[in-house]
Amino acid sequence: MPHQGADTVTTTELHQRDDGELIEEILRAARSGDVEAMARTAAEVSEMTRNWAGHIPWDDLADLDPSGADGELARVVADLTEMWEPAHLRNPVDPDEEYALDKNAYDFYRPAGRDLLARTEDFYGWVEARRRTETWQYSRVLEAAPDSVAQITNDLGKRTRGINFNSQDYLSFNTHPAIREAAARAMRDYGPHSAGSPMVLGNTRISDELEVALGELTGLEHVTLFPTGWAAGFGAIVGLVRQSDHVVIDRLAHSCLQQGARAATRNVVRYEHLNVEAVRQHLADIRSHDSRNGILVVTDGLFSVDADWPDLVTLQRVCREHDATLLVDVAHDLGSMGPGGTGVLGMQDLLGQVDIAMGAFSKTFCSNGGFVASNSPALKQYIKMFGGSHFFSNALSPVQTAVVREAARIIRSPEGDELRARLFTAIHALRDELTGRGLTCMGEPSPIVPLLIGNEKLARTANRLLFDRGVLAFMVEFPVTPTGSSRFRLQVQAGHRPEEAREAARIIEGAIADSRAYLSSAFGSAPR
Amino acid sequence: MMYDAIVVGGRCAGASTALLLARQGHRVLLVDRSSFPSDVISTHFLWPHGMSYLNRWGLLEQVTDVTPTYTTIDIVNDGITLSGSVPPELLREYFRDLHGDDSGVVGSYASVRRRVLDQILVEAAAKAGAEVRTGFTVRELITEDGRVVGVRGRAADGRTYEERARVVIGADGRNSFVARALDLPKFDERPRCTFAYWSYWSGFEPGRGQIHRRGRLGGAVVPTNFGQNMVLAWGPSEWSREFRADVPGNYQRALDFISPELGEAVRGGTREERIYGTLDQSGFLRPLHGPGWVLVGDAQTAKDQCTAIGITHAFRDAELVSAALHGWLAGETALDEAMAAYEGRRRSQNAAAYHDYVCTLAEMRPYRHDELQLFVALRGNQEETDRFIATHGDVAPVSEFFQASNLFLLNDAAKESSADYAVFDDFAATSRMYQQNPFA
Repeated sequence: MPHQGADTVTTTELHQRDDGELIEEILRAARSGDVEAMARTAAEVSEMTRNWAGHIPWDDLADLDPSGADGELARVVADLTEMWEPAHLRNPVDPDEEYALDKNAYDFYRPAGRDLLARTEDFYGWVEARRRTETWQYSRVLEAAPDSVAQITNDLGKRTRGINFNSQDYLSFNTHPAIREAAARAMRDYGPHSAGSPMVLGNTRISDELEVALGELTGLEHVTLFPTGWAAGFGAIVGLVRQSDHVVIDRLAHSCLQQGARAATRNVVRYEHLNVEAVRQHLADIRSHDSRNGILVVTDGLFSVDADWPDLVTLQRVCREHDATLLVDVAHDLGSMGPGGTGVLGMQDLLGQVDIAMGAFSKTFCSNGGFVASNSPALKQYIKMFGGSHFFSNALSPVQTAVVREAARIIRSPEGDELRARLFTAIHALRDELTGRGLTCMGEPSPIVPLLIGNEKLARTANRLLFDRGVLAFMVEFPVTPTGSSRFRLQVQAGHRPEEAREAARIIEGAIADSRAYLSSAFGSAPR
Repeated sequence: MMYDAIVVGGRCAGASTALLLARQGHRVLLVDRSSFPSDVISTHFLWPHGMSYLNRWGLLEQVTDVTPTYTTIDIVNDGITLSGSVPPELLREYFRDLHGDDSGVVGSYASVRRRVLDQILVEAAAKAGAEVRTGFTVRELITEDGRVVGVRGRAADGRTYEERARVVIGADGRNSFVARALDLPKFDERPRCTFAYWSYWSGFEPGRGQIHRRGRLGGAVVPTNFGQNMVLAWGPSEWSREFRADVPGNYQRALDFISPELGEAVRGGTREERIYGTLDQSGFLRPLHGPGWVLVGDAQTAKDQCTAIGITHAFRDAELVSAALHGWLAGETALDEAMAAYEGRRRSQNAAAYHDYVCTLAEMRPYRHDELQLFVALRGNQEETDRFIATHGDVAPVSEFFQASNLFLLNDAAKESSADYAVFDDFAATSRMYQQNPFA
């Protein structure tokens, strides 16, 4: 029952003409210079509108100069017109650009209709608008090897050349003579094709040697190879987890892990990024009602869009306390950082001590492919059988396997230390220059330098400008990042010279400033 | 006499700023061109964080003594009803993040007639020691060496006065005189917005707030003061001309279309006042501060009424700016530093994401298939429904809810299917029908 106010409302004319009509009449009177009529009509305008439009001299309209000589009458007319005319009629925008900049990919995730082919058209229309306005950051192609400088073509056929932070080759192995020689030798010895599943006859002796090398690098001796990193992450989870089991996963863990979790069970809990305390609570919660089934806790080592990593020591301990199993994705850190290239595991003295590690070769090891490693020979055989992406895919090609094996050798050699030192010199040069220019680099120094932008429109526009200004950078937005939190993900290579990094930072800053001016935006990039 | 601060505009943003500064012992002059109690265009709506601010300032009871409150709202999109509340832990997190303390959190909603709310705020400001002058029209800002140092204006007695202060706070709404006098530019303009018409009705009881959307039209019914309900209808500004040709007829037509039940209730009820309307709703930002001046409330960020967040944001600004200015007035921080702190909060990534969220919603495009499916997926998932409502009301960041892994999980956890809702029957035909202007 609503409370009654102490006062009763003052009676206002029930059938009073509405303010829009009154304002039209005031404007008509203004056109004939009849300021008396303007004032008379203004007296009928509601208190609501008069108090809202404090810039209109409602009580003083009769004092306006009817000749309009002082410009006051014209100003009142303009102000009143603005209030009652749709604003978009005054500010026309390019409809293509508006459409391209406003939407995000998730708007198209659940299309309507029973025709699976026809219902993709809507999304395609948006992609075309993004392409026409040169804000589509995907589907660029290389014209030559992706070195520290690269030549590329966007999907409109437009070419550019620029300092390359758009390729994943942290130790610059793609141009390394020993790597190329290893590829050539494998090509000579085995040919381009592995010709079978790794469960059947797809592996070579090189595959076995690679498994041993990875076992030594991670301290986890039982290693299984997968044709891609994505297949390794997805396969590890669906291989192990069943419908009654639970997955507790960092909100920002890689897509292959998120999708693997969803494919394996409906019991998925996403925890706040890096928050080990939250994991402890979720585990206690699950264990309070389920003592029978398994729990897999899933995290990245180095997170690929935030450039940070969890406290794995505590996380592993919390898992053991609750009979949960930990899976760590070391795709971005293994080989590129940590003592002897051992990544985040080595940095936290955890070699050989986490339950399961998985990784991808595509960031540092110069090839497609991935692996799962643990101390358990049983786990290895189980995942080979039940992680479908191992059994039912063709094995890594001999060339790929040889390249990764050679990469693993260099990573563990003194040359690896030297390459990582060069890589980090470039990383520091880039971060320092960006930060010095007032921009926000997220996370910790690592081969991934996330430059925070925030608003998607700003990021898409800056991305368009950068393309023409000689910096190749990947703009990440939803669904890779949450909405409103887009960024440039700059991936550094050992081959980047510090002055190249600084030059790129200068260009990036200019592009962001120009985009902000172009969009006339006052928003900054501070998170909260 | 030299004031510490002159606040221009004595309503939600201004009176609260004056109140908070005066309570901290600063000499404050609060001026407004109108007299109180009086009404102003407003959604009247207070989200739970808005109510929490009132509670933190010790004013909540005064408001709830005369205003109905409720703790659940219904958001109905094309017949898909989501009912929920803003979870207290999200509210506490909001206050901790933004203001560094989470005291006084309450979870209720209310719609307060502005003649009631603004009067309470102005009286509280006066009681706290601010000097309040109503019927005072600021005519000019006094500047010295490019710095605003005071105001010149006409008082209720018709005479002109000149007053000086260390800072002038523009709290005078989207059509801010302070902003106009400073000739401030507008940023992040979003011209597409809604037109909105409303009045006050008796004779039926909705019980709690209901917000409806169907096609390109929206409607809301909320209990407010004096035993009345505010009934609001809105639509895209492109249709405003045609709507205006017959305001009472189209108002009823819109309500019937949005929700036949609501249309019926209104038809059987009694309208207590004239129908009010506005089209002055486009979104934009202004510079936040400059030498000797700072803006709060709608004066600094104007946006469409469609999420009914204006009063709550005005209160938020009042706490932020008064905390920043107090540090400076008390000699603890430099002014630049204080203003940078305020700006950091108000021009952050989260603020940008919410501005975009509101301005995009205000374009009133029919909900897309995927959006409606998301609402279906939320049904029966109370925790996530509550989080969606908290996101809609700017308690939780847009980026936390609209995150791929979250949306995929929502999908997987769906308990209902679209088969239960008529809007999905022939979606393409329905969407085409929604594009037709029903008032033409």
